[in-house]
Amino acid sequence: MKMVLQNIVSFIVLVLLQVLVLNNIHFMGYVNPYIYVLFILLLPVRFSRHFILILAFVLGLLIDIFSNTYGIHAFSTVLVAYLRPFAINLFTNIEEDTNPIPSFNSFGMFAFSKYVITLVFIHHTSFFLLEVFSFTAFGHTLLRIVLNTLITTIILLGICAVKRE
Amino acid sequence: MRKLFAFLAKYSVLILFIILEIISFSMVVNNDGYQQSVFFSSGNTVIASLYKVNNSIFEYFYLKKANEGLAKENINLQNELANLKLRLDTLTTRPTDDVQTSSIDPDLEINYILAKVINNSTNKQLNYITLNKGIRDGVRKDMGVINEDGVVGVVSNVSEKFAVVIPILNPRIHINGKFTKNNYNGFVNWDGVDYRFAKLNDIARHVIFSKGDSLVTSGYSHSFPEGILIGTVDDFNIEESDAYFNIQVKLAVNFRTLSYVKLVDYLNYKERLNLESEME
Repeated sequence: MKMVLQNIVSFIVLVLLQVLVLNNIHFMGYVNPYIYVLFILLLPVRFSRHFILILAFVLGLLIDIFSNTYGIHAFSTVLVAYLRPFAINLFTNIEEDTNPIPSFNSFGMFAFSKYVITLVFIHHTSFFLLEVFSFTAFGHTLLRIVLNTLITTIILLGICAVKRE
Repeated sequence: MRKLFAFLAKYSVLILFIILEIISFSMVVNNDGYQQSVFFSSGNTVIASLYKVNNSIFEYFYLKKANEGLAKENINLQNELANLKLRLDTLTTRPTDDVQTSSIDPDLEINYILAKVINNSTNKQLNYITLNKGIRDGVRKDMGVINEDGVVGVVSNVSEKFAVVIPILNPRIHINGKFTKNNYNGFVNWDGVDYRFAKLNDIARHVIFSKGDSLVTSGYSHSFPEGILIGTVDDFNIEESDAYFNIQVKLAVNFRTLSYVKLVDYLNYKERLNLESEME
């Protein structure tokens, strides 16, 4: 029960942080980190795969409504939610009957970092490509993807490190 | 039948995933920026109210900028007033055989509505601005939005109390502009690169202009009166084989510091629209 409540709070906090603070970052004209995806990344490993997809859809749609992007965030977040178990299997060997929350401790420093950067990269690639909706000026889009993936990952790992303290 | 259920159970995650992605993707594709319901945008009352609260916290940081803008506009208005007074004084009475018509002067066709920017972005590919005025304040779709520096954008969605504007910084909008010098006109469009610059690609190679020339609204649309500054020519080039110049326009408005804007209410909008649609 405490766990559910904790997750609801972090859901709301992440959405508000994203739309009220981070969407207003104007650094170099390129940078707009999307950290709300952290909510999906930190759900327990054996969390229901159906429910996680629905949650991702709702979360993405909410961000879409706030930023007038009509479905782009929803698409990217659902994609991340679907690919998450594959990434976990790829980078870690969690035992069948345990159900840890992804973190530096449970995954290991290196594995967790790889897990975060991979999924953030997938999310950002899908998001920025859909946002432009064309392959013209692809170098420009690529720069956005790489730059924002790095910044988002740094912020997310920072948050996780602080939480561990 | 049982096999079908077994199949569905086995692939239920994949099926749910595909369904959700199809829904999202169709939202992306069906959105043409104009026909979206207000519910799914930041014009939505709940969302806009939240932005309003947020804005009321952060607006203090921008007061200085807003003040400068207002002072500048004040001076312009005073100058205009002085000019008009002068013209009024020198105006002679009409000859008595002049036919009196009830038409209004073209300059009086426009009414401005002041609105505050409560949400704004410049760093996306598709930028939008949310304003704190809506239907009940007389705002309608397609109204032009300007500030003291020049053209900002066009209203795309209106709810009871809020409006969403597509600014020039959104490739989905093309604003017709002309050179003040020679009246050649073309569409100004943003290429998604830099919030200070836009592109103008419709000027044929025989037209003569130079860097620094100003580009103003042409007055051909229902949204803007003639002569509002869009920007100035920053740079241009033309290839040997091209028929049109590739012009970089420095936008007059600084979109990062927008705080107050004016909506252009064109009073004869309906009449003009009806007349024009009769011809089609």
